[in-house]
Parts: sequence; structure tokens; C-alpha cells
Amino acid sequence: MKIAFTTQGTEWDSKMDPRFGRAAWILVYDEDTDKFSSIDNSDVAGEAHGAGPRTAQRLFEFQPDVLITGNGPGGNAGTALKEAGIVSYIGAGDMTVKEAFSAFKNNSLKKA
Amino acid sequence: MKEIVVISGKGGTGKTSITASFAYLGGKDVVVADCDVDAADMHLLMEPKKSTAEDFYSGVLAEIDQNLCVKCGKCSEVCRWNAIPCKNDEYTVNPLDCEGCGYCARVCPMEAISMNEQNVGEWFISETRVNNTMIHARLGIGSENSGKLVAHVKNKAKMLALETKKDFIIVDGSPGIGCPVVSSLSGAHFVVLVTEPTVAGLHDLRRVYQLVNKFQIPAGCIINKADLNNEVSDEIKEFLDEEKIVHLADLPYDENFTKAMTLGKTIVEYDKSKLRETLTDTWNEIKRIVM
Repeated sequence: MKIAFTTQGTEWDSKMDPRFGRAAWILVYDEDTDKFSSIDNSDVAGEAHGAGPRTAQRLFEFQPDVLITGNGPGGNAGTALKEAGIVSYIGAGDMTVKEAFSAFKNNSLKKA
Repeated sequence: MKEIVVISGKGGTGKTSITASFAYLGGKDVVVADCDVDAADMHLLMEPKKSTAEDFYSGVLAEIDQNLCVKCGKCSEVCRWNAIPCKNDEYTVNPLDCEGCGYCARVCPMEAISMNEQNVGEWFISETRVNNTMIHARLGIGSENSGKLVAHVKNKAKMLALETKKDFIIVDGSPGIGCPVVSSLSGAHFVVLVTEPTVAGLHDLRRVYQLVNKFQIPAGCIINKADLNNEVSDEIKEFLDEEKIVHLADLPYDENFTKAMTLGKTIVEYDKSKLRETLTDTWNEIKRIVM
């Protein structure tokens, strides 16, 4: 399974970014290959409007099965993610990436 | 550090007056972020002394290099906003009509059109007269608030709150349900909904709560001027019950609300009885909930 995180840094110990659209980084962890990749999302913060759909677009390129974030995507981005079959889990805004991952594994995150 | 966002959906419910009262009560434990930038007015009550001011750039506008233009008119044809009229045999962009979509630049065969970032105003770090740190912004004429500006104001507030170990960020949230308010809510720990017992008040409360609920942020509600229409007040309370929103307080209609505002004071400074008491209790209740 491929899992995407919205984060403030590029490490397992980095803080999660509670924002979806204007998240600083997106980390993608591929459980099957145990590979970890980071995507700089800072250019989206420069968008005046429509940051959510832009970040959703970026996510599609990595085809994650699951997104873990803080408050969750807004209306437009949420619809786009749903169409793409990406399941969003929220409530991990105050955690580190590592904590968010184990919270997801323990089923303690809510579905958006 | 906890982030409390005050929103209303509908204008004129008393959101900013109530936010300013909480800022007063919180004093030096609080960083205030004014994200209602379209019609920023919290500074009228808080008298911030600006210490840092920086330009803010957001959005792009098209500009045509007349030296390169061959006057083919393609840009004008594709513009959905009719922002590129031809006057005196010259195509120029009307900056008030341009939405910055970039279609014109894309179709221009001469690459004569550039999309340039716009200076839309300034943002500030200030100290208020009641010892809060305050992050706020002022837009230029014709400029609009954006999710980007709100995110910027909030990120600065968060950084300062962490650096100076403040307990709370109080955000005067943006109106409506669009991009700026989505950006206001992002990262919040608690939302205070300020409403009034009118049909529009309840309608906009329902609408904005859909957004809050989507983000699954815990919320409380203050019904301002609650005694003006008991029937709608009861309807609001039913709605709060159904949605499990904490009913924080009912504030009576009270002219001290306006009197305080015209004197440039927060309600809790001006009023000596019921309003002050209720707002103080409400602030303490919010602190109890988020801590």
C-alpha cells in the first residue's frame, strides 16, 4: 500500500502539516518496497486560490491508496481525491509522521 | 499552543467585537491573527503599534509588451473577462477586469504577454495596546483577500506563538465559505461560531458549519443578540443540539456593544456588568475546552 502524508519536513520524525492544500511537503511511503519519497509542495503555497485542487493534482501522479493529513482536504480537493479513489484520514495534524503512521495502523485516525 | 478561530458566516453578528474581547482577556498569552483581511477592522479596537511591515504579493495579472505585439487580437478573443480591449489600435490589459488566468499569454504567437505577480498590500507584526502580539494585513484598493494571504498571516502567528511560548492564537476568521475561510480553519483546534437569531444568521451558520464539520474541528457557538428573536434563537439551539456543537453563550442585545465600538474599546473594557461577565465566563470555558 502507498501512503501519502502532508508534512512540514522530509523525515519520519518531521512534524505533520495540518494543512492539505498548502502543506509544505508531501511524503509518500510505499509499504511494499519500503521506499520513502518526498515532494516539495512549497510552490502551491504561492497560489492565491485553489491550493487544494493543485495539491490533489500532484498527489495523483504518485497514485497513493491513502492520504493522511490534519484537518483534511476542503470541498473541491475532497471530491477530486474521492474520484481518484484515494481514501483520506484526518486528525494527524499535531503528530510526527511516524506517530501518524502508527496511528493509522492502529485504526485510530478518522476517515474524512 | 492552541489555535482558536472565530467565524460567523454572516456579517454583522459581532464576530470581531467578540474576538477583540477574547484578545483583551487573553492579554499577553495571546497572538492575534486578523484573517478577515477584506474588511479588516480589528485594528480599530486593538490599536496595534506596527513594528514590522512587509509587502505581500499574490495573484498574477497579464501585461502586454507593445514592442512585441503584432496586434493579431487573439488574446482579446479568448479573454473570458473581456479584459483586453483594443483602443487606438493598441491591445492593453485592463487590470481591474483581468483575473490572471493566463489564457492570453498561452495563445499569444509572439510571446508578448507576461503574467506578473501583483503587490496586493502589506502585512504587519504589531503589539496591541492590550499586550497581544498581532499579525494583520492591509490590502490595496481593488485587491482581494486570498487563501494565500490568510495562510501567510496564520503561519506567521503560529511561528511567533511558538517562539515566544504563547498559549493561544486567536484568529478573526474570514467571511463566507470560500478559499480564505478554508485557509482560516486549517490547523485550528477549536472554532467559535458567532451567530444572531435571524433567518440569514441561521442559514449562514448551517452553511459554514458544514465546512467546520468536514474538517472535524470541535466547535462552540455564541448567539449574539439572542433576545431579539426568541423563535429563531430556539431554532439555532435545536441545530446546535443536533450537531453536538457546544452552546457557549447567549448574549443579550445591548447598546453597550455599539458604544464600546464607537469609543474604540473592547466590550469587556467598556461594559461593567452582564456582557463583561458572560464574555469572561465564555473565554474561560473556551480555554477549559481546548487545554
